Amino acid sequence: MFFLHNLERRVTLHPSYFGRNMHDLVTTKLVRDVEGTCAGDFYIIAIMDAFDVSEGRILPGSGLAEFTVGYRAVVWRPFKGEVVDSIAYSVNPHGFFAQAGPLRLFVSSHLMPDEIQYDANATPPQYTNNADIVIEPGTHVRVKLMGLRTEVGEMWGIGTINGDFLGCLQV
Amino acid sequence: MSKTIRLGGRLRYPITIVRLLKSPGETVKKQEFLIQYSFKWMKTVGDTIRGETWEEEQTTIADWESPADGELKKWHIKEGQLIERDAPCMDVKEECSHGIQFQGLCGWCGKDMTEVNWAAESRDTERAPISMVHDQTNLTVSQIHAQRTEQELQRRLLQARKLSLVVDLDQTIIHACIDPTVGEWQRDPANPNHDSVKDVKAFQLEDGPRGLARGCWYYIKMRPGLEGFLKRIATMYELHVYTMGTRAYAQNVARIVDPNQKLFGNRVISRDENGNMVAKSLGRLFPVNTNMVLIIDDRADVWPRNRGNLIKVSPYDFFKGIGDINSSFLPRRQDLLAADPVQAADPSSPAIGESKPVVEKVDDAVPEAGNVSALEELISMSGGEDSAITKRQVEEQERTLEKQIKDRPLQLLQEKLDKEDEEAEKTSTPSEDGEETPSSPTPHHRHQVLLDHDCELEFLEQHLTLLHKTYYEEYDRNCDRTKDVDLSAVPDVGSVMEKMKSRALRGCKVVLSGLLPIGVEVERSEIGMQMVSFGAQLRSNISRDVTHLVVNSFRPRTKKMRQAARIPNIKVVNQDWLAECFSRWMKVDERPYKFNIHSDDQLVSDTDDPDENGTGISDKKLIRTNGLRLKLVSATGETHTLNEDGDENESDNEDGALEEEEGLVPDELADGQLSPIDTLKTFNWGSADEELNEFLASGSDDDDDDEDEEDEDVDEDDKEITEYPEDEDMLDRPSDDSVTQSSKKRKASDEDDEADLDENSILAKRLRRTRSRGVSSLRNQYVADDAIDSSLPTPQVTGDEDDVASQLKSFATITTTASQQQQDGGAADNFDDEFDDIDEAELEADFMAEFEAADLAPPAPAPAPAAADASSGADGGDVGNREKG
Repeated sequence: MFFLHNLERRVTLHPSYFGRNMHDLVTTKLVRDVEGTCAGDFYIIAIMDAFDVSEGRILPGSGLAEFTVGYRAVVWRPFKGEVVDSIAYSVNPHGFFAQAGPLRLFVSSHLMPDEIQYDANATPPQYTNNADIVIEPGTHVRVKLMGLRTEVGEMWGIGTINGDFLGCLQV
Repeated sequence: MSKTIRLGGRLRYPITIVRLLKSPGETVKKQEFLIQYSFKWMKTVGDTIRGETWEEEQTTIADWESPADGELKKWHIKEGQLIERDAPCMDVKEECSHGIQFQGLCGWCGKDMTEVNWAAESRDTERAPISMVHDQTNLTVSQIHAQRTEQELQRRLLQARKLSLVVDLDQTIIHACIDPTVGEWQRDPANPNHDSVKDVKAFQLEDGPRGLARGCWYYIKMRPGLEGFLKRIATMYELHVYTMGTRAYAQNVARIVDPNQKLFGNRVISRDENGNMVAKSLGRLFPVNTNMVLIIDDRADVWPRNRGNLIKVSPYDFFKGIGDINSSFLPRRQDLLAADPVQAADPSSPAIGESKPVVEKVDDAVPEAGNVSALEELISMSGGEDSAITKRQVEEQERTLEKQIKDRPLQLLQEKLDKEDEEAEKTSTPSEDGEETPSSPTPHHRHQVLLDHDCELEFLEQHLTLLHKTYYEEYDRNCDRTKDVDLSAVPDVGSVMEKMKSRALRGCKVVLSGLLPIGVEVERSEIGMQMVSFGAQLRSNISRDVTHLVVNSFRPRTKKMRQAARIPNIKVVNQDWLAECFSRWMKVDERPYKFNIHSDDQLVSDTDDPDENGTGISDKKLIRTNGLRLKLVSATGETHTLNEDGDENESDNEDGALEEEEGLVPDELADGQLSPIDTLKTFNWGSADEELNEFLASGSDDDDDDEDEEDEDVDEDDKEITEYPEDEDMLDRPSDDSVTQSSKKRKASDEDDEADLDENSILAKRLRRTRSRGVSSLRNQYVADDAIDSSLPTPQVTGDEDDVASQLKSFATITTTASQQQQDGGAADNFDDEFDDIDEAELEADFMAEFEAADLAPPAPAPAPAAADASSGADGGDVGNREKG
């Protein structure tokens, strides 16, 4: 689910950048550092604005200036039970891998409808019900999240396509 | 699916069950209390400070928590039961067995498997330890699940009547290089290599090597006939790619080899997913059983556990001198069979037969194979063990890649070839490089470096087809007709292949010579293991029942070679024969690979000592030359000094011819026969004397001089030698011995393939015996000669041998002069004293006496080397004394 989230971050600036457009530089650096990263259990998708740049404080010893920046960002926090659209990127006999934005998912063959079976003889190998559903690398798949795990800077999920309106998307 | 849960080993047994808190049918959760139990223990009570303590028995009641989630099915224990040790306590039906896990998440239920709690003795992540997917390492499965998946795979393969084939990329089906020269040649139609490289494919890698090699082009040459090969093979085999290159590299190559993904599909595994930097393992893809899996790879040593399933192909070496660009991750290549691609590919070429191409080949090989010296081999072997640190390997690879880009080895080779061509044109002789492609009509007279002669895939296809057929024949015999597929009847393809392969060289008893580095056990070596797998028997020594001697055409003149030359039924072949047998899986006709025994070795008429070429060397050299000298004495018909050596007396005059028929004469006698004498003819006495003096003085020697001189003697023939009177022989002995000494010492270090000491034992024994016999006055002459020689700056060498008498006279006179003493250094002085009072007549008399002095056949030669050789304790003590003077 997407949220607008108010966040705070400390940004340091090298003394060579001290000057008139210092605040712009701070914002730029913030955007560069933060956008697209995984912060704990959510991803920071985009920074809307940096509304509060504090006064800089020189860090003793290094000479870098530290600014505390309050900013507003669009974040995506995947929840267990959430339905996401994803693109399959790898298929194997145990299931397939898919990517929903930055989130890597695995959908095991147990969590698919019974009629969808692995077909190793196809090129490339795919999951198919021998009718309209074919899941191969590149296919758009609607997946419900079963479980999530986060580590520093990374998240992984387990998905299922066992349910109404889940599975292959007709593009 | 219910799981039996044990109490665990951490409880303080014996325990008594007090209460069971749940009854069957109820759901249990992790860390929920299920059992109350009590245990007794001794507690120390009292005043510890005063030391008034005693133990009291205590009873404590504790709770036991569930290590698993699920439905409780059954208790194995009752309330009030006394339990002595760890035992099963209950059955729980688990909702999920967590058989597939992705990054610590159960793939079935989505639970986090990395959570740890104290109730469970093992972590949930340990339930799925096997990684068996090609392109991911973070997906793991349990043993049961792996088994099930594999059975499904086998069922599918059996239905399609296929097998699995794991294919290596580098040097097996393709050859890659990043030398930018290739691109230039491709763009330049005038270049002689244009034809060869025009179908070379290229790609760039985004995440390729850093530094200088960044963004470089990878040039991929497919092995000739690859497309058809794969297409046909894919009908019988399901193909997998298993490479030590990076993922991106592997996929790019797969895209080139298989643009439609029809052959390999997504079954590509690379270094990134392998989990091991130095070895490949079928267990990574087929964790449960490998009965239906074959491998083709150019390296056997990277498959330490799956040799049975491996078909080793000869490495494809198109871009010469490049090797495998991904090999810095692997232990150093150890098979030395990569001889000459031209010949390996073209068995009909009789090139090996003539001596001239052989010589040329040696030259050609210098930039590539020739660099692999014995020393380097040794280093590489020891280095293979501590291969580990990935970073170092990556750096190493980057270095080699950068070097390739900077040095452009191909360009260098071509330039060198061009230069050779120019020279060849100058002399207007037809070139015999053997480098010319038959395919190119050669309108240009420049030769090309890159040739495409390889036909390995043809044979490989035959083998794979045959294997597939044999395999399914066996399966059909075993299988239960009533079932669609019968997994229990699946034969092991490894044993099927072994049966097929072992027929190839059955009955061949093979000796290798010059093919293995020093100190490598032949049975453990790559070649040895392969030979055994093809049914050949390995022998370390030449004997009568040996059928083949395989020699290295780059280092042809070994001792085994000479031994084999004497036994007519030994076929002497070069290593290409072996390579051809390996690639064809049959005993190929030896004739095209017959190795022409060096005429000298064959006729035993020459002195060219292979030892001088750095080939087979042994301490036996000493003995050999000794034996030879004995024979010379007898050859001149001078009495029966060699009583014990009757057979030698007969054979030595007819030397070569007779010996070939006989096949019995010990090698040392035959081949060393004439060498010392020949040496004498052109010998530089000055340096020899210096050497001797030095040796006598210090025990050290210097081998630079005599090496050259001995090499010059190669072409001399034996007629002259028999003309040598024995006196001359005697006179020459000292310097000769010094040579022997030095060469012996020199070679002792690089002794190669001559483990066959026992063969010399008879001779050695004889020699010892003669040495141990007192050495008498003959030594006087020997010393005298030495003194004289050294006093004459340019001695009489190759001159007339007739007037030995006059020479003797002159020696004697000179001996009596004091002048020599100034020139002789060191120990030589010591001897002079003895000779000052010897006059001519005495000297002559001594000579004669010596020869007639009963049975003293070998004493003459023996003392000198013996004295010098401190390690051979066989010689009489008097020798040493004399030396010390």
